[in-house]
Amino acid sequence: MKQLLFNLIALLLLPLLPITTLGSPSDSTSLPSPRKWDKRVHQRYEGWERLRPTHVKFQYAGGMGVSAVGIGWDYGKRRQWESDFLVGFLPGKYADKFRLTFTVKQSYIPWSMSFDKHWALEPFYCGLYVTTIAGEEFWKKEPGRYPNGYYNFSTKMRPYIFIGQRMNFNLKNSIVKHVAMFYEISSCELYIISKATNSSLKMKDILRISFGVKVQLFKDND
Amino acid sequence: MRKITGKKFYTSLFMSCISLFSACWLSGCEMIEYHPYDLDIDGETGINAKNIERIESALQGKDSFSFVFISDTQRWYDETEDAVAAINRLDSVDFVIHTGDLSDFGLKLEFELQRNILNKLNVPYVCLLGNHDCLATGQDVYRLIFGDENFTFEAGNTHFVCLNTNALEFDYTEAIPDLAFMENDRNQLPGSCTRTVAAMHAAPYTEQFNNNIALVFQHYLKTYPSLQLCLAGHTHSLSVEELFDDDVLYYTAPSIKKRTLLRFTFTPDTYQYETIAF
Repeated sequence: MKQLLFNLIALLLLPLLPITTLGSPSDSTSLPSPRKWDKRVHQRYEGWERLRPTHVKFQYAGGMGVSAVGIGWDYGKRRQWESDFLVGFLPGKYADKFRLTFTVKQSYIPWSMSFDKHWALEPFYCGLYVTTIAGEEFWKKEPGRYPNGYYNFSTKMRPYIFIGQRMNFNLKNSIVKHVAMFYEISSCELYIISKATNSSLKMKDILRISFGVKVQLFKDND
Repeated sequence: MRKITGKKFYTSLFMSCISLFSACWLSGCEMIEYHPYDLDIDGETGINAKNIERIESALQGKDSFSFVFISDTQRWYDETEDAVAAINRLDSVDFVIHTGDLSDFGLKLEFELQRNILNKLNVPYVCLLGNHDCLATGQDVYRLIFGDENFTFEAGNTHFVCLNTNALEFDYTEAIPDLAFMENDRNQLPGSCTRTVAAMHAAPYTEQFNNNIALVFQHYLKTYPSLQLCLAGHTHSLSVEELFDDDVLYYTAPSIKKRTLLRFTFTPDTYQYETIAF
């Protein structure tokens, strides 16, 4: 149980990392030095405009329902950081009844490889998300009828870690800047705990695959 | 010079990612999961009904048989694998009874993994509902993979009554243990049944049991023909106790982590039990 608690706290603290880096580099006015491969540049919205979502996302599977849609914001000199909020659903066919899920997702995309003016590959990115499911039979903390510490985990909140790859296609469009297809391999904390204590479990028992599309909104101002 | 190293780095990174992706892709769509608590079951369902049919037809008309009793295998996959191998090495076992807690978190994956391990048994098995199995959508998953939470079967001349006793999980709002089910079952008993064994996850006087009706529960059990013994799990440690001062023993199985099996051998007049370390 101690281990479980540690994992949970570590996973919850991780999203704070990008927030600490958000303040300094993205506020400076100097453009990132040109690189051979990486052509990503941040759009630099000012003031209230910064609240404008920079992209919308659609994701299939990955523990956030059959599919989830949401909005997100990217930041960092080269848009290395992305935060998303997604709403997913689980139809009655796959659950006892129709269920909604809510996901907060944080990604770190360290590299981008631009091949020509249209195609760019993001060869590796990683991150984490926490997904919750609506319904009173799922609880954050065990209900009062149980003795204290009877179950010590949450059936409602599920933290995941993931790695993925993404392919970008740039468009000459006034609304859509580029479209990216991605896939991710993820696992949640309860699966990782199960694998850690059982050598007979295989990686494919605990790894999950999901797919998605990101649509980058709004054209560059310049 | 630096550019070349960068290129090499990107290429190797790209290749490793591609190989990872293809490895995952080849392992199939069981890696696509909508939610850890969804009811989209992979693999076999309706296990208990199928296995009860096998037990009943194999032991029909017999008054001697032997079974292995295990419980609380949650999140101990390595030990459960070893237990299955140990049971398969034993001679003359007719079936296996598991008194619940296949899952630790009520996750669909846990039920599927446990089922896959138990399916390697050479003999049929039945699983009861444990308190951990009730978490989130666990009970729904249990119903799909195994079946009803109250069920009975005949092993030769002996009637097995398997009951959900996890009253705390339902906040005492449901009929747990279901006395009406017991009464109905007892009234429909075939005449060939001369002995009874009761199985449950949480024994009377554990915190899961509805202890206000512990005496009534025992009274109902005693109305069955010649109640031999009761089987339970939940406490994770081996014990043999007479809970009600009425010569009926409650056998509690240790969790599978303790690496001990219980085997019961029924002869026409009596029964014996032994512990088998593995």
